[in-house]
This record gives sequence, structure tokens and C-alpha cells, in this order.
Amino acid sequence: MSLAIIGLGNVLLGDDGFGPFVVELLRRRYDFSPGVELLDLGTPGLGLISYLHGHDAVVIVDAVAGAGNPGDVRVYEGAELECLPVAPRVSPHDPAVAEALAVARFAGTGPLDVCLVGAVPGSLDLGASLSRHVHAAADVAAEIVRQRVEACGFPVQRRDADQLEQDWWIGPCPGMPRRDGGASASRLSTE
Amino acid sequence: MARISIDPVTRIEGHLRIDAEVDGGKVSKAWASCTMWRGIETILRGRDPREAWVFAQRFCGVCTTVHAMASVRAVEDALSLDVPLNAQLIRNLILIGHALHDHIVHFYHLSALDWVDVAAIPRADPTKAAAIAASLSDWPGNSPQEMKKVQGKVVALLQSTQLGIFANGYWGHPAMKLSPEVNLVALTHYFQALEFQRKANQVVAILGAKTPHIQNLAVGGVMNAINFDSLATLNLDRLYMIKSLFDQIVPFVQQVYLPDACAIAGFYPEWFEVGKGVSNYLAVPDLPVDGKASAFDLPGGRFMGGDLAGVVPITGSRDGAFRKGVVEDVTHAWYKGRGAQHPWQGETDPDYTDFQDNGKYSWVKAPRFDGKPMQVGPLANVLVGYAQGHALTRTWTDDALGRVSKIAGRPIGVDRMQSTMGRYLSRAIRSAMLAELATKHWEGLVNNISKGDSTSYNIPSFPKGAIEGVGLHEAPRGTLSHWVVIKNGVLSNYQAVVPTTWNASPRDEGGLPGPYEASLVGTPVANAEQPLELLRTVHSFDPCMACACHTLDPSGRTIATVKVL
Repeated sequence: MSLAIIGLGNVLLGDDGFGPFVVELLRRRYDFSPGVELLDLGTPGLGLISYLHGHDAVVIVDAVAGAGNPGDVRVYEGAELECLPVAPRVSPHDPAVAEALAVARFAGTGPLDVCLVGAVPGSLDLGASLSRHVHAAADVAAEIVRQRVEACGFPVQRRDADQLEQDWWIGPCPGMPRRDGGASASRLSTE
Repeated sequence: MARISIDPVTRIEGHLRIDAEVDGGKVSKAWASCTMWRGIETILRGRDPREAWVFAQRFCGVCTTVHAMASVRAVEDALSLDVPLNAQLIRNLILIGHALHDHIVHFYHLSALDWVDVAAIPRADPTKAAAIAASLSDWPGNSPQEMKKVQGKVVALLQSTQLGIFANGYWGHPAMKLSPEVNLVALTHYFQALEFQRKANQVVAILGAKTPHIQNLAVGGVMNAINFDSLATLNLDRLYMIKSLFDQIVPFVQQVYLPDACAIAGFYPEWFEVGKGVSNYLAVPDLPVDGKASAFDLPGGRFMGGDLAGVVPITGSRDGAFRKGVVEDVTHAWYKGRGAQHPWQGETDPDYTDFQDNGKYSWVKAPRFDGKPMQVGPLANVLVGYAQGHALTRTWTDDALGRVSKIAGRPIGVDRMQSTMGRYLSRAIRSAMLAELATKHWEGLVNNISKGDSTSYNIPSFPKGAIEGVGLHEAPRGTLSHWVVIKNGVLSNYQAVVPTTWNASPRDEGGLPGPYEASLVGTPVANAEQPLELLRTVHSFDPCMACACHTLDPSGRTIATVKVL
């Protein structure tokens, strides 16, 4: 039995980085039992199929375009995902979650248990940080994922200290030293 | 007259919109538009050039590796910094693994269903299908049992209410021509290909530490520690894992993918007459064989007006004509101003208007070389090699054209390659070449380490003042160049001129269309409601609107709309 937690989204485009952010948050906050894999896959398109291979269960975390306010979190079950219409393939980005699941299922190598934890994004503008509401939603999503993983039979252990620190693409927290030594637009503007 | 728009509008990802006016059953005018802002490079301004590649490989979710590679090469070029031979060869093996993965996925999983009619498969005779496959190659995975298994899956799927991956196929379209048996062979290989593209990606993962988004690069080399006596480093055990993967991937590419591409080409020879478009070609050299990148296993070059005899080599990132020749024009792109700028002076100030047929209509800038639109990709790669008499290119191209001619029942020469089908075939030819080179570069690495060389990194140091560099990579979709300006050790400008911007380029100041647009003109369209023929030509370029964000849209989407004018 094995399970993958997969974060999808582009970390350079604001709230689209929600999925990878939640995966990093989980990685730092918990120790997972053997058989659980945490994957930041960016925006792999059909490349997703390879990472579904060999897993019995998959929890995908992603930004979702849908009705609701920024930061709203919703869980979509497997059947709901596979009913999505499949678009004609124009570029390799186009075959997204639904199609990758369908191909894996048809090939007989896909996971049987699939769900997607999605958050409605606030801003998809260029920038390596989440907006306030979506940042807050990461905690909600992480807890949903944790419960899901435990329900699948994988115990999850919280680490003693919360080891979450700001990642390179999330940018500095107020009051934290900058990882990039302050090289930013401000330096550029003085030249 | 009808106007067709193919626009996966509701999902914020693919970003390619194609508009075509169809008159008298043929495309008379076409527009290619990228529907999302392509200014992601601005995020790099003000950053440390040594970490730029970590961001650059997030430009695109599909081609992560190629952007990482072009980025470190650009900074190394600016510094005139060589890398150790081991680093060069490790990078090459990663690039080969990535390219093979990418080309296999394009052929089988992204474009095969443009040519293969799934609805015909239940009528196929599996034994006959196996015999046809055996006549194409001696690959062992073509048994009647294997064919029957896949046929059974298709029948079950067709009887169910959910058609899944095939829901959007253009079944029974008049442009579908393969026999039920050939359709079954192709679909059987579709499933087998899933396994081999994964193995190719494993090569990238072993050397790059993670996929997608490799972690082992550095400006100055790679971060792979090399020690045959250690369990924790790149050792013989890991190198033989890579060899074992290539030992499986290479036969699949040469005995399945290439023959399949030749068969499709042989059964659809009329597609060698369609989709020529822009006949200026550009490819840069790749797979350097020394630390200085002074010699390469795949040649670069350019020629204009379809004239192979006029080929001019491109010798590498120091090639003066290349460094000077590339500009990007924004006359028809949603950026401020008109005319062209060199990437080192490039600006990216958005200026969105609506889609204007005669004004601005795309987020893609129009790259030009010596003022001309250029076609890039495996076809350019193969043709510039062929034109220069490159032995490996000639061997595999002649082999492929021989197979195609045999199936088509008439000679099809290299002159027919400048076409929609030529682009599909070139991707398979290039894959066969890369597969052959994989072994060479693997042996080169093992031999060099065995001689006692374990270096993999040269330390960069940044001078005061401004320096400029360009990093080249002949990526799966063609010529990729990253252009950097570094001031006092900090990035002050960064521009990525990616293959799809060359090919999906909008018109320029002089009104010259880009390769997608030009190639669609004249394409026959049997049924405007099902513009399969347009997809075949667009897919022949393997479009990738890099730069994208992607958000799942659970509400469905509008796909192709047809307006009668």
C-alpha cells in the first residue's frame, strides 16, 4: 500500500503555488510513515501520469477556479474529477488532472483512491508569494490532507517544534532575515 | 467562409489560441495567439545569477530541465567560465533523458490520436495486427496476445458511458485513414510508451536528484559528488542503473517509436504536401563534448528560403552572428511600443488590447533572426545537420525515409521533409540519434572518471561592472536561448527566447507571419466543426506555451467555436 500527496501549481504565479506550498508545509510539520510520498510537481501536464504510477491512493492539492471567495477550500472526490470534460490537446500543458487520471486508470496503473483538495485563489499575478486568505487556507488544507492520510491507514506524527520556515519562493516573513541577502528590486532601483 | 477558433479558454493553462479563416475548404488566413502574459522573466531582475536557474526552471511545468540548463549556461557564458568534462557529460545525459521522455510523450500521448481512430479498433484482427507490427520491426512486445489485451480494454471502454481519454477524439473523421489493425498496433504502443517515457525520466531523476525540477545544477558545473568508493555519491552502481535504463529505452526508440512514426508517415503521405509555412530554419549546436563547449555532437546552423545548400553553421554561444542576429518584435504583441529589440535590451511592459486581427493579438513576442521569422524544432535540427553532411543525421534520416517510401509505395526524399509530416518524422529521427548518443556520453563519463578525474564544479567569481551572456540549448521543441545582463554580480536583465515563441510568433512590424500562422495557410479542412487537420499541423510543432499557470477548472470549458462569416 502506498500513497502520494501531490502539490500542483506554478510557484512563480502567486496563489497558483498553493499546492506546492501545502506539500512543503506538510513535509516540515509532520513525520509520515513509510509508504507516503510527498511530491511538488509544479505544472506537469500529462507528466503527472508517471507519478500516479504504483500508488494505491493519491491526494492532490491544487488551486481551483470556481465559485467562492479567495481561500475557500473544497474537496473533490475521484469520481467528480474524472467526469470533467477532456479538452483537445493543444499543448502538453493541456492534459491536466482529469486526463492524467483517465490515462492511468485505462492503462491499469493508476490509483484507485483519488481526491483533490483545492483552494480558490485570490491573485495569480507574477510573484513568489501567496495572498493572505490563501496563505491561511494552507493550514486548513494541510489538516484535511493529514486526516485523509490517516484514514488511509498511514499514521502521521507531528514534529516537536513547528519547523515551517519560509521557502525561497514564498519570500521572507516580516521580521525574518532575507535569504537572498536583500538582493531585490530595491537594490536594482539604486543603480 | 467560416472562422474557427480553437481556444481552451476556461482553463488558465494552455494559453494557445488558434484562429483560422476557412474559405473553399482550405485555410486562407491564420492567427496564433498566446493568451497569457509571458513576462515571467522579470521576477529574476535583482537576483543572484547563481540562483537564477532555480527560478527559471519554474517558467514551465513541462520543460523544467531545459530552462535550468539554459540559465546556468547563460551565466557561464557571461563569465567565460568553463565547466569540468564530468559536469558537461552529466548534463548531456540529463538532456538526452529529458528529450527522449518528451519526444515519446509527444508522439504517443499528445498527438497520436490525431491520426489513430480508436473507434476502428474493435474491428481489428489481433493476429493480423501482430503480423503487421512484426513486419515493421522485431520488437518483442508485439504478440497477438498483447494486441488482444489492448483491444479488449478499448472495447470495454467504448461500451461504458465514460469515454475518458478518448472522449474528445475525432472518431470516424474523413481524414482518418489507417486500417483497424494499424490503429490497434499504434494504441498498443501508446500503452507501452507510458512505461518507457517513465524510464527516460528516471535517468533525469537519478542524476538530477528530483524530477520535475532537477536540483543538481550549479553555475560552473554540477553538484553531483563523484566517488566510486562511496555509497552516497555518484558511483558505479548509479551509473549502471542509468545504463540499464538506457539499454531498455534505446531499443524502444529505435525499434518502436521510429518505425511507428515512419508507418504513420507512409500511410498519410499527403501530409508531406501540407504545412510547410516559414522555410527559414534555425538550430543551435548541443551535447558539447569538452568542458569549453568548443565541439558538439549535434551541429547547429541556419538556412533561409528552404535552401539546404545555403546552410551556415552556428558554432556555439560565442557565435557572433547568433549573438547579434536575434531580436524580438512587439508590434503585434501586447507590449508597449513597436518594432524590435535585442534580448539584452529587451523590455517587457504589458499593453493589453483586445484580440485585434490587424493590431496586437498575442502575449508572445515575435523573435526574428536577421529580420526574418525562423522555424525551430526537430525539423530544423535534422535539416541543418543533413545539409552539413553530419553522418549520424544522414544515417537516421535516410533510414527513416527508406521505411516511409516503402510503405507509401513511392520515393519520398529529404525535399519533402519541409511539411507537417516532416516535423513528426524529424522528432523520431532526432530521438533515434539521441538514443545512439546516450551510450557514447555514458561511456565518456565512465572512462573519464576511471582515469581519476572526479571534478564536477568550477567556482564562479563575478567582476565589477556589467557583463552579458547567452545560454543556448537545442531543446525538444527547438532553439532555446536565455539572455542575461549582470551588473556588479546581480541580474539587471533576463530574457528567455523560447522555442514556442519562435514558432508561435505573431506577425512582425513588416506583417510577416510566424511559423504556426504560415503553416496553417492552405491546410484543407473537411469539416469546420471538427478541425482535426488544423490540430495535426499545430501539433506537428509540439506547442508548449511555457510560462503558464494552471488552475483546475471544475466547471467545464468551451473548446472549439466556429463562426460562419
